[in-house]
Amino acid sequence: MKSLDEWVDRLHLPTLTVTAVAVVAWSLLSWRYGAYVLPSPRAVVGGLADILRTGEVWTHTGASLSRILIGFGGAVGLALLMGLASFLSRRARAVVHDVLAVLNSTSVFVWIVLSIIWFGLSRWAPIFTTLMITLPVVASNIVEGVENVDRRLLEMGDVYRLGGREKFRAIVVPSTLPYLVAGMKVGFGLALKVSVVAEIFGVTSGIGYIMNYSREILATQMVFAWALVMVLVMMVTDKLVFDSISRRLSRWR
Amino acid sequence: MKPRLKLRVSGIGKDFLIPVIETVSFGVEAGEFVCLLGPNGCGKTTLLRIIGGIEPATRGAVLLDGQPVVAGDAHSRKVGVVFQEDRLLPWMTLEQNVALVLKPLGLGAEERHALARRHLVLAGLAGFEHYYPGRVSGGMRQRAAIARALAIEPDVLLMDEPFGALDAQNRRIMQNEVRRIWKETGRTILFVTHSIEEAVAIGTTLVMLSARPSHIRELIRNDGRVERGRLIDDLNTMIMEEVERQQGGAA
Repeated sequence: MKSLDEWVDRLHLPTLTVTAVAVVAWSLLSWRYGAYVLPSPRAVVGGLADILRTGEVWTHTGASLSRILIGFGGAVGLALLMGLASFLSRRARAVVHDVLAVLNSTSVFVWIVLSIIWFGLSRWAPIFTTLMITLPVVASNIVEGVENVDRRLLEMGDVYRLGGREKFRAIVVPSTLPYLVAGMKVGFGLALKVSVVAEIFGVTSGIGYIMNYSREILATQMVFAWALVMVLVMMVTDKLVFDSISRRLSRWR
Repeated sequence: MKPRLKLRVSGIGKDFLIPVIETVSFGVEAGEFVCLLGPNGCGKTTLLRIIGGIEPATRGAVLLDGQPVVAGDAHSRKVGVVFQEDRLLPWMTLEQNVALVLKPLGLGAEERHALARRHLVLAGLAGFEHYYPGRVSGGMRQRAAIARALAIEPDVLLMDEPFGALDAQNRRIMQNEVRRIWKETGRTILFVTHSIEEAVAIGTTLVMLSARPSHIRELIRNDGRVERGRLIDDLNTMIMEEVERQQGGAA
């Protein structure tokens, strides 16, 4: 009986049951309110199949992902510099703290509007927005990691006269890496969500653009289909990229 | 002529808002095994940290082979420290941990790892060189910390209650191991402990500190001239007197 229980959990059967109930409810609601407000599950699956067949799915997902990689990559780079600065100097750490507090409290919309003013209706608008929104998330994690480096290990390094570079390489980097990966995981999820919003304005490709376009041509089933694509992209990168990095990092545990 | 002292502690004192160490002076000859004893809070660990150049003293000086040891200042002598916790880097194997502290000595990678392996074997860790600290027992981690301290061939080896976290059985085993390693290497050792039995079992010289603000209450050569049981009883009596004095002073 234990193995049966095990299988129930492994196949996520409880989740599947809830999903099945939700799909039934969804169908009923769709039938009641009509396809514009709530397209039927069949229409959504059909739409998804269409964009997979025509290859449209790759065009827009690729456009979104390339912008995310540039914006998010820039954010990770800046965050690493901030982490390094806050390791090297107590003053720099205080400045980084304050800057991050301000950035953390700034709305996505501020960056969207500003980036349209500064970069016009170009691909740099969503890239810049993504950078500014993910920077505080990744940087806060790195700085927290730098602050949580075990003082007792650094003291051990001093006793054995390790140089600054050696202490950084052998003690600070390994103890900060898990924080960096955790920050990147959260940051990437945020990047995907934010860049799609920024794509509503000014660009003619990307998941955000195509979702808004589908709404304008009253193809609500395509809005749902693209939403599903987003969810899938998120889950796949989480499992394939970040989980495997985390596993590699913690092999000594 | 008297042999030149390996380590001289002269007039060391330390204040943390209140005076903790009043004044402590003693000399250590090369190859001695000195145990520092005293009631809790009398500044044993602080004294060891001052001698190791980890913490500055408020007064006095420490001379190692005639060279002053000042916290934060470089000197050419080598000090190995075994802390209360192992302080191994958990993401490095035992061998990598030991090899790491050999880097500042300017040795090549191959030589460092060969030295690391030799000292791990000396500490009874043959076969565990490539284990991560998290995969071995607390006793073995503390052995690796001792191997690390010995690998730099220290002029003086400082040990701060290194077996405090171990159970009674492992403690006994490790005491014998340290005694054996001391005999094999002839290192000069300063060992802080709160256990009188431990000090009498392994030390050649016992330094008993008084209650805070501390000075040396008694310096005893543990050369077997006094019978062990009696020595332990005497030291216990002294410690109880000091504890009472501390409590009386606080009241």
